[in-house]
Amino acid sequence: MPSVAIIGAGPSGCYVAQALCKARADAAITIFDALPVPYGLIRYGVAADHQGTKAVIRQFERLFERQGVRFAGNVRLGADVTLDALRAGFDAVVLATGLGADRRLGIPGEDLAGIHGAGEVTRAWNGYPDAVAPPIGRRVVVLGNGNVAIDLVRILAKGAAEFEGSDITGEPGAGVEEITIVGRSAATVARFDPVMVKELARLAGCRIAVLGAEGEGKGIEALQSLHGHAPEGAAKSLTFRFGLTPLRFLGDTAVKGVEFSDGTVIFADTVLTAIGFEGDAARDVLLADASEEGVLAPGLYATGWFRRGPRGTIPENRADALALATRIAADLPRDGGKPGIDVPGMTGFDGWVRIDAAERAAAPEGRVRAKITTHAGLMALAQNTGETGCK
Amino acid sequence: MQIAVLYGTETGNAEMLAEDIGAHLGDHEVTVCNLSDFDPTGFDPAVLYLIVTSTYGEGELPASAQPFGNAMEAAAPDLTGVHFAVFGMGDSAYPETFNYGGKRLEEMMKNAGAVMLGERVTHDASGDDLADDLAFPWAEAVVAIAEPALAA
Ligand SMILES: Cc1cc2nc3c(=O)[nH]c(=O)nc-3n(C[C@H](O)[C@H](O)[C@H](O)COP(=O)(O)OP(=O)(O)OC[C@H]3O[C@@H](n4cnc5c(N)ncnc54)[C@H](O)[C@@H]3O)c2cc1C
Ligand SMILES: Cc1cc2nc3c(=O)[nH]c(=O)nc-3n(C[C@H](O)[C@H](O)[C@H](O)COP(=O)(O)O)c2cc1C
Repeated sequence: MPSVAIIGAGPSGCYVAQALCKARADAAITIFDALPVPYGLIRYGVAADHQGTKAVIRQFERLFERQGVRFAGNVRLGADVTLDALRAGFDAVVLATGLGADRRLGIPGEDLAGIHGAGEVTRAWNGYPDAVAPPIGRRVVVLGNGNVAIDLVRILAKGAAEFEGSDITGEPGAGVEEITIVGRSAATVARFDPVMVKELARLAGCRIAVLGAEGEGKGIEALQSLHGHAPEGAAKSLTFRFGLTPLRFLGDTAVKGVEFSDGTVIFADTVLTAIGFEGDAARDVLLADASEEGVLAPGLYATGWFRRGPRGTIPENRADALALATRIAADLPRDGGKPGIDVPGMTGFDGWVRIDAAERAAAPEGRVRAKITTHAGLMALAQNTGETGCK
Repeated sequence: MQIAVLYGTETGNAEMLAEDIGAHLGDHEVTVCNLSDFDPTGFDPAVLYLIVTSTYGEGELPASAQPFGNAMEAAAPDLTGVHFAVFGMGDSAYPETFNYGGKRLEEMMKNAGAVMLGERVTHDASGDDLADDLAFPWAEAVVAIAEPALAA
């Protein structure tokens, strides 16, 4: 029986497993993850008020519930197990660990208090274990022109009642008065999905002004249609600005504003950067010899954000994963195969089932779940020691 | 009865549902096929077509159904005598274009002369219902209506 280890239980890893289940029903598949919970950015990136997008989880649950895929949580590649050990134990090893680090702007003042990366912020808002939600002030600047930047402004602009049906913890934008979202390029090349932009027209307590969105196209139309949005009694305001390249952050210890290359200054007590994510040097080494399909070496493969960089939504990762699975299915041995390995301390899918049930049961009125936000709390349930940590 | 379950998908929800419907109707001769692999000139009046599709963009067809949509327009096949039903997957978070993918395919098929059996049923990704729970009764009802229709 051939064995496959997939490292990373995000959508990319899960889609590879799903396709391999179909192509090679004889394969024994284990998905390892550093966390005791699966699903990666579906759980900890996709916005709490986009539960419909998170519903792909229903496909992945089936892998573990019915299709014989083993979940091995609480196993961090590089800390709890080495790549060599995995490659010795499994016929195929697939790296699907995503990209966790916020890309930095690399301009003076970036380490001032009050400046935070989108990854850090969205993890905290999504209840990532032990993540501390950065304090948000009254005047916020969001730097970036992608969908993650839109997620940030939408969540900041919403009031508690607008999170009906979500699984958000708290109300991140409770004290916010003014939000400015700034793009380096012109509005015509902003990477927002027009649908994400249009969604802002439903904000119930935030006025919107769009400055300098000239040109043509769906994106521009969506932006222009927002201009002048002014719900009655709105206490917050959101302004879109374009064509401003950040030069430096102002302030001594805490950020006071952003200066742009044309001399424009926008004052702010909080700055959130949403300009992408990056990997580390180890990733560069591993990917140095990667083929187009994601083959790094015989029996070693890479997919998803880890392979392609922080671009692409869930559908694109699925397409990438399906293509890679076809290749792996062809490479796996027909007879025999390596037996696979266990890693001490790993937690199983049953652990996630207990966590999931506890979170749903604890959901307050109007929310679909209350996430357990400490590693200790998750581990207690994953290992079934009886302590919930859900305080 | 010969049944073809055709699906259009981007993140796989419609594919999984199509496979589940296929398995659920296992007493019949069922094939499950991605719309990306289906040629609209190949419709057969002897087969009942169950179409499952999601919605993307601003009410557009999902990526795997787009070549089919384009081919339907280009080839303009005459589907007189063909019977179909549509199950749409969408998300009420997109209220203006909720389940437009299914709506579009329904219109395309009807415009080409095919006959729809039953009502188009929709699933909401933001809702509590499991797609299977809505789709199995729908599929059974359609098959019941189809039996006399296809025999005629
Ligand atoms: C804030 C945000 C919002 C987004 N919203 C959307 C959206 O609405 N719609 C959409 O389509 N896409 C969205 N995306 C994009 C989408 O999340 C990605 O395309 C997708 O998650 C990438 O999948 P992946 O499996 O490659 O990586 P990830 O989802 O990051 O999964 C990687 C997994 O690997 C694990 N891991 C990492 N390091 C290790 C290690 N050393 N050992 C073991 N395990 C490890 C992680 O715990 C994680 O579970 C969003 C992204 C972000 C950041
Ligand atoms: C970017 C995006 C746009 C969407 N647009 C719509 C839409 O306009 N109308 C709708 O009903 N659903 C929309 N949806 C929801 C999907 O159709 C729904 O999640 C469905 O279950 C996906 O099925 P699939 O995995 O088969 O593609 C959208 C989803 C995304 C991610």
